[in-house]
This record gives sequence, structure tokens and C-alpha cells, in this order.
Amino acid sequence: MSILSVKNLTKEFKNFKAVDGVSFDVGEGEIFGLLGPNGAGKTTIIRIIATVLAPTRGTVEVLGFDIIKNSEEVRKNIGVLTTDIGVYERFSGRENLRYFGELYGLSKEVLEKRINELSNLLEMRDFIDRKAGKYSTGMKQKLAIARSVIHDPKVLIFDEPTAGLDVLASQTVLNFMRQSKKPGGCVIFSTHQMHDAEKLCDRVVIIHKGKVIANDKVEALKSKTSSDYLEDVFMKMMRV
Amino acid sequence: MSKTILTIFKKELKDTIRDRRTLMAMVVMPMLLMPVMTIGMFKFMEYQVEKQGEKVVKISIIEKGEAPALIEMIKNQEKIEIVETDGEIKDAVTNGDLDLGIIIPENFQENIDDQEVANITIIQKSTDIDSGSALARISFLVANFNDQLLQERFADQEINPEILSKVIIIPEDVATEKETGGFLLGLIIPLFIVMWAITGGQYTAIDVSAGEKERKTLESLLLTPVKRMDIVFGKFLTVSAVALTSVIVAIGSFYVALIYSGGFGSMMQDGQSSGAEGIVESAAINFSIEPQAVLLLLAVSLFLVLMFSAIILSIAIFAKSFKEAQSYIGPSYLVVILPVVLVNSMPGFEPTLWFFAIPAVNATLLFKEVLMGVYDSGHILLTLSSLIVYSVIAIFIATKIYSKEGVLFRD
Ligand SMILES: Nc1ncnc2c1ncn2[C@@H]1O[C@H](COP(=O)(O)OP(=O)(O)OP(=O)(O)O)[C@@H](O)[C@H]1O
Ligand SMILES: [Mg+2]
Repeated sequence: MSILSVKNLTKEFKNFKAVDGVSFDVGEGEIFGLLGPNGAGKTTIIRIIATVLAPTRGTVEVLGFDIIKNSEEVRKNIGVLTTDIGVYERFSGRENLRYFGELYGLSKEVLEKRINELSNLLEMRDFIDRKAGKYSTGMKQKLAIARSVIHDPKVLIFDEPTAGLDVLASQTVLNFMRQSKKPGGCVIFSTHQMHDAEKLCDRVVIIHKGKVIANDKVEALKSKTSSDYLEDVFMKMMRV
Repeated sequence: MSKTILTIFKKELKDTIRDRRTLMAMVVMPMLLMPVMTIGMFKFMEYQVEKQGEKVVKISIIEKGEAPALIEMIKNQEKIEIVETDGEIKDAVTNGDLDLGIIIPENFQENIDDQEVANITIIQKSTDIDSGSALARISFLVANFNDQLLQERFADQEINPEILSKVIIIPEDVATEKETGGFLLGLIIPLFIVMWAITGGQYTAIDVSAGEKERKTLESLLLTPVKRMDIVFGKFLTVSAVALTSVIVAIGSFYVALIYSGGFGSMMQDGQSSGAEGIVESAAINFSIEPQAVLLLLAVSLFLVLMFSAIILSIAIFAKSFKEAQSYIGPSYLVVILPVVLVNSMPGFEPTLWFFAIPAVNATLLFKEVLMGVYDSGHILLTLSSLIVYSVIAIFIATKIYSKEGVLFRD
């Protein structure tokens, strides 16, 4: 049974089709790669799954909940990190996390425990009590990641989580994603780092101009295109 | 109230209070600006009137004929300086070298001696304050001159000058001190409340909506399972709390300043004759407002604040950026304040009932009534209920806007 099921999804902005009949399924326990060049429509797909954008046609089911009919249930069960997302700058990292924890309805003890846990996992201890307005790009990104998973969701959707991070921080985040994979859930990972995708993903879908052009296991794609690296697969697929 | 609304309210309040600009708008500005502005204005007016009374005006007399008695009287008058003018007298008055010109015609004295009507021509500039004072003083003086003249004539004919006694007005105001005090406060307080109900929460309204959009935190808020309605309500309560604080601070500090500055001073200046004598009477105001009036003022202020907060918030939510929100809200401020100022300053304006259904205008009119001790239950009910209806409509619109994705990712 699939955890997340995208069904014939289309999104039009004014007269422009950003997403064009996309379908794919993500199975339990999978780390699923959402790949594609700039402007392919990845962020748009993620925003539709996250219910902040409405689809023009088609729908998505998350754990059996429909994004249109049951958007609140969907939001409860997913943790989403979108690109270009801000934090409350007049609050410390901890205060930011507390606010979202309360909005997700976590009890005080659970929340404080979760904050400390995430602070350790993402190595935020040194700065979590400082004002977020003074954070570096990487610190902000870590805080945004921690915020998106504060409620310990089953389904994680990360849009370019390592953007702006140094090698060490990237490693921390990738490890975190690996650990986040849990029974009854899945992780969707959108990135431009083919190297990371190759290491992490069980399966990838490649989107190009709003359409799915490949959907398979990484190894299968490699042998299909007789390439050694996912990056080569990507280049070859783009050319056709 | 749901727990999430409270969570959002607490967070937004904390967030906005950590911003220096909110504190400026909420506390510092209303605390300083209003008392300084109004009391300063009254003090300035008082000073002006006093100064006008002290001012020595320049008058030139052109004697085409003789008028020894009148001229003697003018010369003896204090604060009038007689100057020579060469050239055209009208030009001198026009360019301000001279405050007033008096032309005495050729046969002035003959006419008086013959007991006929005698004219003098006065050249003045009505747009000039000094010229106005000069005219007032000369008119006063000529009236005295006429009285004297008549007395002499009666004496010549051996008639008792007592018959000259005319009607004299003894003014007696039936308005109680409280009413006059209430009337004056009624000119200012309603304006204050309306002004701060709009401006007090404006910065916060933009900050929590368009500001949140601009700083890109709104998307993460919309990612939570919280109901859109709760988000709007939490923000709305924050804006209302800030605006209400500023209203209370403004009125409180104005009240304190009023007590310490000793009332309005020259507002109760005797006579409107632009100060021939410049009688300045300092009338300390008795503003003993009854407790029920204070309660009613607060209740109406509260609903006024709720309504404006809802309207401003929905405008700011619609806007894409801080700047855009400001450019929408700026003009809307004028739309509200203009009718308020109009009904507020129109003397003897008797509102019909439906005026109490016009937002802001109704509160202004009601404040005035209450400050003068008038309680009209129809007016009170209509004002409160219409303000509530407008608030609900504005909140509803704001919620609808937040539910629309286009507003979140608008180009
Ligand atoms: N709100 C919007 N209004 C109009 N067009 C939009 C909007 N959001 C995205 N688009 C367009 O939709 C297309 C897909 O954008 P999207 O952000 O989903 O791409 P992406 O795959 O995430 O790209 P990148 O890798 O650069 O992040 C782009 O052409 C973009 O210009
Ligand atoms: Mg993107």
C-alpha cells in the first residue's frame, strides 16, 4: 500500500502549466527523490501536497486522506520544508519551535523533550537560544527543518533541505533524513544534489517541464541508460 | 475561545511588542503627541490673543477736513501709534506698513457742528490680524466718541443725559460648567479615540499580515493544521489589543496633561471681537465625568477598535508587502477621518438617527452626547450594534482572504 499517492496532478498559473498530469506513488519506508531542473515544477507539487496551493486538476492522497476534502488531516500528518522559508526573527530558535509545537497541539512535556531531541540531532545546541534574526543561512535552515518535523510526522517532504549548507551541516541533515524514515511513513526529498539523491533515495521521479519523464529505482535507471552515476542519468534524460 | 487562537494571540503580541516601532505607535506616540499637540495648541492660541491685545497698531490719519476732538481722542488712546504716510494710504495698508488708514472728509467738523451725519472712511485689510485689531479698537473708540457727542448735545439742550441709557446685555450662561467642559472635551476626545483606534494598531496589523508574508513565515504557519479562522482571529485580537492600549494611553495622558496644565485657558475668551480689549479669561474646566459615561466611552471605544482592527487587518492581509499595505491603508485613513472631523466641527449639527449607523461617525456623535451628559438609548444601541455588525463583516472578509491561495502566492 502506498503512503502517498499523486494522481494526475495539474496546476495552471494564469495560462501557464507548471505541473502537467503528474502521477506517482510513494511506498512505506521509502526515501523518494523528486528530481528535475530549475522550474520543473517540484516546489509547486510539494506546495500542493502541503495544501497551501490548490490543484487545478487531479488530487493527492496522503495516508488515505485527500488533500482537498481532508486538508487538516493531511497537514497533521506531514512535515514540510519548502524552499525560501522564513523564521520569526524576533524570537529565539527555541521560541520558534515552541510556537509551532503548540500550534500542532503538543503537550508541554512532549514539546520540550522534542525540542531538545531535535536540537541534538540537528546540532543546534550552540545557537538555539539566540535570536533567530542573527542566524546564518545554515542555522536558519536547520531551524526551519526542526520546525517542519516538530510534531514528529509520518510523512516528511523536504524541498532542497541542504541548500546553503556546508558539507558538515549537509551531512547532518542527510543523516537526520535517514533516521526519520519510519514504519508507516515515507520521506520525499527534492534536490539538485544528484550525489545526495543517489546515496539516499530508494526511488526517484524526474520531472521536466511539469511532466514525469522517469520513475524508477536508482539502479534501474542507471542500467536503463547505461550510466555509472545518477548525474549522468539526469543529463541523458534531459537531452531527450 | 480555542486554544490555538490564544497561542497565536500570545505569540503575535510578544512578537510585536519586541518591535520598537510597535511600542512607539502603541504607547510613546499617543502618550506624548496628543497632549502636547492639543494643549500646546490652546496655549499658543491663548498667547496669540494676549499678544494681540498688547500689540501697538499703526494708524495714519488723512485730514482733508478738521476733526480736533476725534483726533485728540485717538491720540490719547493707548496702543495706537499715529504715523505719517506719504504716498497712497491704500498701498501702505496693502503692504502692511500701516495697519489702518482713517480719512476725515473736508466738512467733517461742520457736519458735526450742524448736527448732521458725519462720515469717516476707514481703510483696512480684513485678512490681516493687526488691521483687524486696529479696526476693533477704532470702532470702540468711535462709539465712545458718539456717546460723548450726544451727551454734550443733550447737555446743551438741557436734556437729562440719562435718557441715553440703552439696552445693555448681561450674559448669563445656563449651560452648567459640566456642559461647557463636556462640550469642549467633546470637540477633542472623539477625534482622539477615532484617530488612535485607527492608527494605534496599524503598524501591528501590517506587521502580522503583510509583514509575515514578506518575511516568508506565513507559509509555515499555513502548513500547520490550525484553522484559517483561528489564525485570523489570533492576529485580529493582537491588533485590537494594541489599538485599544493606544486609545487608553492617549486619553489617559491627555487627561493628566489637562489637569496639570490648568484647563483650556483662552478657549472661553469673552466676545469674538478679535480682541479689542483681548479679555482672556482662563476657564478651568470642570470635567467631572460620571462613571457610567466612562464605561460607555470605553465600551464604544472597544467596538470602534474592534471594527477598525478588523478592517485594517483584512486590507493588510490582502496586500503582498509591507509597502503595499501602507499605501492601501494611508488613504483609507482619510476616508474615515474626514467625515468624523466634519460632523465633529459642524456647529449646532443635529444628527438624525441614521447617522448613528455610520461607522466612526456614530461613535464620534455618541461620545459628544455622553460627554455632555446626554444618554439616548436608541443612539447607544444603534451605535454599538452597527459597530458589531461591521466588525463581523470585516473579520469574515479577512478569513476568506486567508483561505484563498492567491493571496499567499500572489504576483
Ligand atoms: N505563484 C506562481 N505564479 C506563477 N507562476 C509560478 C508560481 N509559482 C511557480 N510558478 C512557475 O511554475 C514553474 C515551476 O516552478 P517551481 O518553483 O515548482 O519549480 P522547481 O522545480 O521547484 O524549480 P527549482 O528547482 O528552481 O526550485 C516555474 O516556471 C515558475 O515560474
Ligand atoms: Mg523549487
